[in-house]
Amino acid sequence: MNKTLLGYVPNESPIYSVHPFVKLFFLLIVSLFPMFVTAPDWNIGLMFIIIILMWISRVNMKTLKIYVPVAISMGTIIFISYTVLGGTHPEFELLARVWGINFYWERVRDALVVYFRILPMIFTMVFFLSTSRERDIIVAMRSVKVPFVITYVFAMALRSAGMVLEDFQIVRQAEQARGFDPAGKSLPYKIRQYVMYMIPLFALSLRRSEEFTNALVARGYAFTGEFSKVKRADYILTHYSYKYFDYIFIALIGITFIALLIFRYGFGYFLVEQSWLMGILYGAVS
Amino acid sequence: MSNVIEIEDYSWKYVNTRTPAIEGINLTVEEGSFVGIIGPNGAGKTTLAYSMDGLIPGQYNGIKKGTVEVFGTEVEDYAKGELQQLVGVVFSDPEAQFTAMTVEDELVFGMENIGLSVPEIRDRLEWVTELTELSHLLMKPPYEISGGQKQRVALAAVLAMRPKILILDEPTSMLDPVSRGRIFEVLAKLKAEENNTIIVIEHSLENLIPLADQMVLMADGSILLQDETQAFFQQSKLLLDKGLYPPGAMHFFHELKMKNYYQGKYPLTVTEGIDLLREIKGF
Repeated sequence: MNKTLLGYVPNESPIYSVHPFVKLFFLLIVSLFPMFVTAPDWNIGLMFIIIILMWISRVNMKTLKIYVPVAISMGTIIFISYTVLGGTHPEFELLARVWGINFYWERVRDALVVYFRILPMIFTMVFFLSTSRERDIIVAMRSVKVPFVITYVFAMALRSAGMVLEDFQIVRQAEQARGFDPAGKSLPYKIRQYVMYMIPLFALSLRRSEEFTNALVARGYAFTGEFSKVKRADYILTHYSYKYFDYIFIALIGITFIALLIFRYGFGYFLVEQSWLMGILYGAVS
Repeated sequence: MSNVIEIEDYSWKYVNTRTPAIEGINLTVEEGSFVGIIGPNGAGKTTLAYSMDGLIPGQYNGIKKGTVEVFGTEVEDYAKGELQQLVGVVFSDPEAQFTAMTVEDELVFGMENIGLSVPEIRDRLEWVTELTELSHLLMKPPYEISGGQKQRVALAAVLAMRPKILILDEPTSMLDPVSRGRIFEVLAKLKAEENNTIIVIEHSLENLIPLADQMVLMADGSILLQDETQAFFQQSKLLLDKGLYPPGAMHFFHELKMKNYYQGKYPLTVTEGIDLLREIKGF
């Protein structure tokens, strides 16, 4: 098993044959698809495709369960925002009036459109994070000649986030070891205690920054550029090479995106008015 | 042998502190020697180590007096990064010095910084992973391996840059005895095969003594004692006064001496102790 950013993927997974740049390209381009598609049918289709890709990549599908509460709460917030807090619109078609709140078909439809636009974007991100290691992101960025200092700052940010979380666990365990138990306490009390965690965490972060800087200087690194003025050999990139299928994937993703734009703006496809799913729903509620 | 480090009347006071962290330091380190620096916490050992690598005054604010010369040049006079190619430092907390996402990235980071070519990086990587027995961990994140492995990664990352002087600041303070032994095995190999100048700040004397050519005792920011290892440990009383307990064999002979059962030199290791007992008992 190899640890990825969101879990573990078996060593035998075919995803490791794919160049890291392809995965990053997939994330950057495919997550744009829903922005040009208002018909939920297509976005649901995209979600199915991503689930199939996850299955092919041998991502542990059980980990997806943790996103169910996120999806439900996000959906609830969007629905409430568009309906309960959506205001009064006499021009819209009224479906129902509950406790003085008007539920319009257009607002319900728009809530669903937004929801099914965001979900595939999240699925794309989850797919990327489930199948990529930190190193993959760095390699992908460096392979397209993103300056070293940018990729390095990005890598340090990833690493620092992990360190802060680790430190937070240590501070929390230290508090618990001294008898502090927030279970059953009120929310304001918990918030006050979290502020208390921040002080040692902040002090630890400062110390770590100093140690980290010392480590960088001790290894001859300076953000002002390499002292030797010699071209930096990107050794890690020598482990990765583009294979013929990488080019095919990149071309497929790119062509699909262009086709999507052409069909959307040239022929008016992917609009919510053409959605059969919305048609069925409208028939059911109106 | 020429001196690679020459420190004269050196004092360093960190900004916003009342007293200097180190004061009146005079120390010379010969090329190829193995120097052990010991002393209680707060003695100024780390400050001295940072001073030899240019981290002080480069990364810290304070007042410096005296000179710290490495290969005949004052540390401040080296161009940025140039001194780090000559002097490598391994810190006590291995995790705090990791700068990369995999062990392999960690090991090559320094080599990339000093502008080595890909074939040379590959050769050095092979050499250093064999020396430190890390080949099987190359693809692992450095923060997910054991404490001993982490410290070997930190050591290997510095070794890969092939510094002429290697400074280790309490490299085994967070390790169990087995991992500690493995770090010193690597240092023993380096001493035997590579002729590096090695300076180790360490509390674990059992591992340090068999390798050290010279020992330095620091306390309260000053050097109290500096001598060849054998002569150094004959000053057991001073060491005990400073709260530094010599290894078992040495302590045993010290106690014998205190009770007038023994008058000779102290053995440095258990093996030497056994030989000495054999000599005394005549078997």
